[in-house]
Amino acid sequence: MRPALITGKVTLNELTQDICQPLKTKPGAGWWAGFLVALAALALGVGLVAYQIKVGIGTWGLNKTIGWAFDITNFVFWVGIGHAGTLISAILLLFRQKWRTSINRSAEAMTIFAVMCAAVFPLIHMGRPWLAFWVFPYPNTRGDLWVNFRSPLLWDVFAISTYFIVSLVFWYIGMIPDLATVRDRTVAPLKKAIYRVLSMGWDGSHRTWSRYEILCLILAGLATPLVVSVHTIVSMDFATSVIPGWHTTIFPPYFVVGAVFSGFAMVTTLLVITRKVMGLEKYITITHLEAIAKVILVTGSIVGTAYLTELFIAWYSGNAYEQFAFKNRITGPYGWTYAIMVFCNVITPQFLWSKKIRTTPAILFVLSIVVNIGMWFERFVIIMTSLHRDFLPSSWSMYKPTFVEVGTFIGTFGLFFTCFLLFVRVIPVIAMWEVKSITGGSHE
Amino acid sequence: MSEKKYWKGPEELHGDPSFIEKKKQEFPEELPVFYQKEDLKLSASRRDFLKILGFSFAGSALAACTRMPVEKAIPYLVKPEEVTPGVANWYASACGGCAASCGILAKTRDGRPIKVEGNPEASLFGGGLCAVGQAHILSLYDDERLKGPLWQGQSVSWEKIDQEIKAKLAGAGRVILLTQTLTSSATRALIDEWKKQNPSLKGQWQLDAVTYEPMSLSALREACEKHFGVRVVPHYRLEESDVVLGLNCDFLGTWLSPVEFASAYSKRRRVRENNKENFLKHIQIETSLSLTGSNADQRIPIKPSEEAAVALAVLNELMKLAGQSSLSALPHSINAADIQSIAQQLWKHRGRSLVISGSQQIETQSFVLAINSLLGNIGTTVDLDNPSQQNQGDDRAVEEALKDMESGRVAAVIFYGTNPVYSHPEPERWIAVLKKVWSISLSDRLDETASLATAVCPDHHALESWNDAEPVAHHVVFQQPVIRPLRESRQAQESFLKWMGYEGNYYQYLKEYARSRYFSQQSGFLSFDAFWDHSIQQGVFETSESARKNYSFQGSLSEVVEQAKSQKALWALGMEVSFYEKIGVRDGRGANNPWLQELPDPVSKVSWDNYACVSPAQAKKMGLGEGDVVRLKDIEIPVHIQPGQAAGAISVAVGYGRTHVGRAGNGVGVNVSRLRSVHGGVVMSAGSVSLEKAGRTVELACTQLHHSMEGRDIVREVSLVDLAKASHEDHGKKEKLITLWDEKDKEGHAWSMAVDLTNCIGCSACVIGCQAENNVPVVGKDEVRRQREMHWIRIDRYFNGPEDNPQTVYQPMMCQHCGNAPCETVCPVLATVHSSDGLNQQVYNRCVGTRYCANNCPYKVRRFNWFDYAHNDSFNYNMNSDLGNMVLNPDIVVRMRGVMEKCSLCVQRIQEGKLAAKREGGPLKDGDIKLACEQSCPSQAIVFGDLKDPKSRISKLNQDKRHYHVLEELNVQPIVGYFSKVSERSSGGHS
Repeated sequence: MRPALITGKVTLNELTQDICQPLKTKPGAGWWAGFLVALAALALGVGLVAYQIKVGIGTWGLNKTIGWAFDITNFVFWVGIGHAGTLISAILLLFRQKWRTSINRSAEAMTIFAVMCAAVFPLIHMGRPWLAFWVFPYPNTRGDLWVNFRSPLLWDVFAISTYFIVSLVFWYIGMIPDLATVRDRTVAPLKKAIYRVLSMGWDGSHRTWSRYEILCLILAGLATPLVVSVHTIVSMDFATSVIPGWHTTIFPPYFVVGAVFSGFAMVTTLLVITRKVMGLEKYITITHLEAIAKVILVTGSIVGTAYLTELFIAWYSGNAYEQFAFKNRITGPYGWTYAIMVFCNVITPQFLWSKKIRTTPAILFVLSIVVNIGMWFERFVIIMTSLHRDFLPSSWSMYKPTFVEVGTFIGTFGLFFTCFLLFVRVIPVIAMWEVKSITGGSHE
Repeated sequence: MSEKKYWKGPEELHGDPSFIEKKKQEFPEELPVFYQKEDLKLSASRRDFLKILGFSFAGSALAACTRMPVEKAIPYLVKPEEVTPGVANWYASACGGCAASCGILAKTRDGRPIKVEGNPEASLFGGGLCAVGQAHILSLYDDERLKGPLWQGQSVSWEKIDQEIKAKLAGAGRVILLTQTLTSSATRALIDEWKKQNPSLKGQWQLDAVTYEPMSLSALREACEKHFGVRVVPHYRLEESDVVLGLNCDFLGTWLSPVEFASAYSKRRRVRENNKENFLKHIQIETSLSLTGSNADQRIPIKPSEEAAVALAVLNELMKLAGQSSLSALPHSINAADIQSIAQQLWKHRGRSLVISGSQQIETQSFVLAINSLLGNIGTTVDLDNPSQQNQGDDRAVEEALKDMESGRVAAVIFYGTNPVYSHPEPERWIAVLKKVWSISLSDRLDETASLATAVCPDHHALESWNDAEPVAHHVVFQQPVIRPLRESRQAQESFLKWMGYEGNYYQYLKEYARSRYFSQQSGFLSFDAFWDHSIQQGVFETSESARKNYSFQGSLSEVVEQAKSQKALWALGMEVSFYEKIGVRDGRGANNPWLQELPDPVSKVSWDNYACVSPAQAKKMGLGEGDVVRLKDIEIPVHIQPGQAAGAISVAVGYGRTHVGRAGNGVGVNVSRLRSVHGGVVMSAGSVSLEKAGRTVELACTQLHHSMEGRDIVREVSLVDLAKASHEDHGKKEKLITLWDEKDKEGHAWSMAVDLTNCIGCSACVIGCQAENNVPVVGKDEVRRQREMHWIRIDRYFNGPEDNPQTVYQPMMCQHCGNAPCETVCPVLATVHSSDGLNQQVYNRCVGTRYCANNCPYKVRRFNWFDYAHNDSFNYNMNSDLGNMVLNPDIVVRMRGVMEKCSLCVQRIQEGKLAAKREGGPLKDGDIKLACEQSCPSQAIVFGDLKDPKSRISKLNQDKRHYHVLEELNVQPIVGYFSKVSERSSGGHS
């Protein structure tokens, strides 16, 4: 017998009441505190980005040898975070994993916001960001001068923009029945008008439901390959290059699994807080958290295997540059980042073999943060330590982030949490219509 | 009204049909264009007209949209005869960078000089030019140059100041003229004339000309006088030597005439011309690892206190070989076997060997002269009859003059090209003297001395001056101005003539001098004017040298040994220290030249600073780390841990710590002149000093942080013996690598370049040559610390072997123009693409700055514009001033921030060469296109050419067994190749 997916007996009305509650009431002190901190971080980020665009990329710690460091590390980190949302909403839908219903709305929101944060970096890391539109293959008058379809950066442009659009559409379509519910419950005329427009004339008829569910499945089918493709293509930024440590065929699966790993960690971080703060323990249960923890355990172990595989291949290849790159990762001046990475990503998830830990939200919360730190360092290790010592020792160099880089990274957290906190105030944080399908009332 | 008919000429009056035909055309006379008529098939149809109309309309509309500042170019209303806009003129002149006085060609565009290069006609110098010479063009456009004369700090007119000075000098009495080295014979004649002049005025006129050089060769001159009776600096004949022993002498880098020596050195070590039999063997014994020492086949580090003892030991060994009784020995640290082997090699090549020392210890110089004399080198490789005039500094005379000034026996002092308040070991004495003695400075800026002088009469820049130079007797180089003076300055000689009361200007004086002195020595020209025009045009005039004689060695050597024994006091203060010049800044004259400040020292790779070189063993012993500040007497200076530095001695560079030179040079490094001791009237190049830790650390601006090749196959080295044995196959592994890409067919040309690592001495002339040619910006110390220097060509320097005395190799590294370029595939916007003739091109205005290309470059030669380096107050160097921007090459765009840049293989020069060949209607000849780095190389290590031309030098060189590509296993197929370094090093190979 599987445990019930939500605890206690709730009627459908209670469920609607519970979940729509935050939309009606004024936010509490906790929300305001969080929102102000997030907003301050966002303001810092916006200010620093403006400064950097005005003065130049030189405000970052990069140099002639290390052309990417914090910027692309953050980009890959945020794209990776996004993966959990799509995985939960699309793949688990196709596999009919009912437990996803309570968490998919917020996980998808996380995806959207994470991709937004990620998209900031390719834009601002350009020397001349005001010309960023040149990376789009739009019809123009420049004759032969078009985009370079051989460049992985261009593939990135397509991959990320497709991913963002599909995720956004999927998320929005998934919200329509709930928006209609909110519309019907809202009294304030302006709010009601907005929800009316957003719910697109939802009438709840059988015909509507039938078409709606088909559309959801189609979108899930569309989104599923994206889970794999986006990070595959992001990994090709490195895999197709000649730099030892980047030039590796293992990268596509390794990046995808790493992304799922980090994404689920971020989901844990968010849900542990959300369920507590918003009193949704009934709907986002320990069972949910445990399921997520199991995914983290599996993906974390795959990531660990990938690390070992990389080391083995470096040794087995007999390529001196490759061997040096990995030796340098572990024993070079940035060896400490490798140590952090291994501790956070390989050792930490192994604690999740214990059911006690899997079912204790506080420990899960700490673990999830550790995993996310580890995954950030993984990208930093791959990107920076490969670049800082490549072929010609004469150009070997060191890197130290500047205040502007760190501040911009903090700024993206500001953007993420600002968006997330606004989200929990205006949109039902749990897909009510989906959860209703699995409450005792209508199910089994 | 009757109609009068006006006619221009008989053709019109008689109605000549060809005239009538011409008259119908819009421009009856031929238009003054540079290109031949065939190139200008000017025909415009209505469609063309509409196209152009449309384009100009759209263009002006677009131009109106941008925020670019409007900069109006003003065309010539009346065009000077020899100026064609867009076409460069070249003028021969003489370099003013240092007293070596190399022949140069100055390139002017639209009337302004933009680049100087070596003059191939000047056979002495071989056609190359050093970094300092190439950079001295930037000093022409230095904002800090005075706008006009100053009298007691106030701006006055030349008439006014001449009146004042003439009045003062007339009643003066004894006047000291403290000059820099005067290679100009005409100037020396002028000063002699001035000396003799009796202005028939009251007071006793006595003019004493004293030559002051901060890094003089006084000891050498004095030793020559003592032992051979001639007070000269000999002319060293490196090209005629088979073995050269350098004893603390950086003759390839900074000593006496580096371009000449580098050229001769490379000629004798050019294996690619089958020069294997008489390959010049080079042994260096020195304190600091100099550029010269780093190239030696055998190098032995010694403390400066051992210098005389080592010279004596070699001498003793040679005396044994010569069957003479040897002198009593002095203690030193070199093992006897090494001394023996050195002596044997020298002895074997008697008369074709050479020992050079840059030491300021007279005893060392005496021993060295004795060695050369014993070897029969005097009159062969050591030429006393055609001496070098390139360093005439006379420390003893300066000391006497200073004493006279202190004791009030001098009324006035004139500083011409000298700045003792900055460079003398005892500046406070000069400051005190300048308070009581009336003084004139001819400095072009308000430098340390000029700011204390009564009058400042700024001299022209060398490129604004007329002059002659005779760097080595019978080798004359003419200097002609290539631009009208930019400021209200006046050439020093012109000022002297004014004060002498001479009618006429220095040009006339010089011409008269040339007529009397040079014209008579030749027979090729009957009229002086033809001779003059020819000489000025060529820039060089050479007459047959005087016969070289052997001089017999005079004086007792055992006395010298006794003297050497008694020099202990010099080394008593704790740490031994030697003073040297850095390649770029040299003695500090050009300290306001940001190109030179940013030029990394070839050995230490540190720019924008001087530092105390400490040997690794010494640093370990004293617990010193890189950048730790130490206190030498009362001067605080950071430590640089220098492999190859002699243990027990440190080395510091002079020329830094200027306070009154300008915004680029003020406060860069510290002035260590005060640490130099004056010993027997000679300013020593070594001594001793107390040393203690200051307890803080600074970061040096070093462009290379890692010094080992890590066992990688980057610089290949082969000994002469192995080279002879090696076959094609076992020399370079030419594996056939497969590729996924289609073979690109090259159209027209297939450019290629090769760098011979045997001949590259690392002097970095190419770095500055490239910087001048390609408008490479200066980024400053902070940015260099962040590893963001912009040089398109860099000199990679690797050490191998033991840390206390490593072997050094240099490798110029620039864009390799890969056939399968990793940078090209990754750019999302096609901002870097391949040309049909094999160049990897960077399209600046398409670049959005993702830096992916730089990340993916295996050679890391791409440079990113992290900021706007032009017109930006944060980078207050030459590109931030309108005057400084005059040096920019108009063929090259100045890159804005956010774009990537890199070596283009001087694509503008390739285009120019192709156009010239097309205009002349013939095929492009091998060697017609010379890239900036290739042209500047004093040792001719770089060859560029077309692989499609089977007879070109490069085609042949690419077949050579020493030819290889760096990282060829990556199969990126570069078109820039290298030649393995050939040397006679005992244990070659990789680290």
